[in-house]
Amino acid sequence: MTRRVAVIGAAASPNGRLQMPPDAPLQTLEHEVLAPLVIEAMAIAGVPKEEVGALVFAMCRPYTLQKYFATFMANYLRLPLKGSIMEVLGNGMTGGMAFDQAINAVALGHADVALALGINMESQAASAEHAMSTMRATGDVDFHTIFGFTPIAWYAMDAVRYMHDFGAARTQLASVAVKNRRHARLNPIAQFRKPLSLQEVLAARPIVEPLGLFEVPPRGDGAVCLVVCAEEMAKATGNPYALVRGRGFFHDGTHQLSDVPNDMIAFSAAQRAAAAAYSAAGIGPGDLDLAELYAPCTIVEVLAGEALGLTPRGRGAAEAQAGETSLGGRIPICTSGGCLSRGHPAYVTGLLTIYELWEQLTHRAGERQVADARLAAGSCELGNYNAALIHILEAVA
Amino acid sequence: MSLPFIDVASARPWPPRISAFTKPFWDALLDGRLVTTRGRTSGRLTFPPKPFCPHNWEREVEWVELSGRGKLYAQTVIHATPAAFRGEAPIRNGIIDLEEGLRVAARILGEPALDTSVECVVLRYTDGPLFAFRAALPAHRL
Repeated sequence: MTRRVAVIGAAASPNGRLQMPPDAPLQTLEHEVLAPLVIEAMAIAGVPKEEVGALVFAMCRPYTLQKYFATFMANYLRLPLKGSIMEVLGNGMTGGMAFDQAINAVALGHADVALALGINMESQAASAEHAMSTMRATGDVDFHTIFGFTPIAWYAMDAVRYMHDFGAARTQLASVAVKNRRHARLNPIAQFRKPLSLQEVLAARPIVEPLGLFEVPPRGDGAVCLVVCAEEMAKATGNPYALVRGRGFFHDGTHQLSDVPNDMIAFSAAQRAAAAAYSAAGIGPGDLDLAELYAPCTIVEVLAGEALGLTPRGRGAAEAQAGETSLGGRIPICTSGGCLSRGHPAYVTGLLTIYELWEQLTHRAGERQVADARLAAGSCELGNYNAALIHILEAVA
Repeated sequence: MSLPFIDVASARPWPPRISAFTKPFWDALLDGRLVTTRGRTSGRLTFPPKPFCPHNWEREVEWVELSGRGKLYAQTVIHATPAAFRGEAPIRNGIIDLEEGLRVAARILGEPALDTSVECVVLRYTDGPLFAFRAALPAHRL
């Protein structure tokens, strides 16, 4: 049994610092942040609590004390479930995988309503210490980590190669950060909403050359709850919803670096996943009204945009600078402000991607609304886009 | 012919674990040789070395010596390093395409340009070796 699935409700916390210092007298507890979002998202969805049959959580960071957080939350919310309950982990793809599994629970008939949700708390961990953990997540612990590679170091190498292969200018890459900040200024849940100039991006202290502070992801906390259900139930509510039209996935069988030399910056897994998603939806990239890409660095948005066919190969950075990917441009990318300015609470970033698409497709995006938004794509990835997961959503009113 | 050695007066910031299988790699490196495994039937090299060929899953593999010469494919300078690497910051790391058709990642010495020839050197830390690449000396000086 498979059936069509829709997103009918969503809620998200502001992104940034939610976690309190360990010695603060009052702490922020994960369940006290997430539960109100569940109630809010379900109220928007307009379906009763009793219909929820599955909970799919993005796994918490190791800094969250409560273990088995999923069943703890089922108790906190008093939610009996006939379908399933799980915490998923898929590296940077974690949030996207949670959404994917919630879709499956409904499509397969295990549940009529499923929640894809999670909270990522990490802001109290100092970056250099946090990197002692994340350095072991990208590459081979015994053959790559030994040199001090960090996750964003691999993206920085993409940037160097991209500028070499296509003659892209530093200012073109940097313009992606400026564009995303303009978008974030219109997003109430964005972590950074102050204006940011191209000069400031270019003058920022280097983090992983050539990328400076504003071209790499901020550290931060965030929480999201999405409500998905069978389309017939969505229709019955009478509310606008976002229909899942297509899904594509591909993992290229490599972890961070292929020992068989390839075109590393083609993001071929994203090309394959996008082709599958477009085919399932019966559309092409030119039919999209917007796209929200998992892009922790400026260069990643450029390369993912090219791999999804949103911009021509080698032209993504130039098109960003020309305004083609801005709100009001040909194909707005990362209308939320993206990882760089909306925020990147990594394990729920994939959920925030769908949250933004849902806001746009149900015309709740306020000042950053893409006029008549009907078709939208969201991507998430792991490694250096060694894998990509892409969903195509359609507005139904 | 041995790879060049460069002595480093400190311990490796985050040393690799060594298994019975990978020990020949690290022993060879300390002996001035960069080695890896090749499938006997597939004839394909892989890196890091593996006790089977990842391409056809055959368990018959042999150790082979690599030239240590290749071209620099990509690089970066990491300023925000993990805590253990603070003493070495900033770090220049890169990706190298070896002559034998293998892609590896390693420390980079000096500032070679992309697509230029690089050669492997052994960094002899006080507790064991790491490998790095630097601009290759012109052939007439070898």
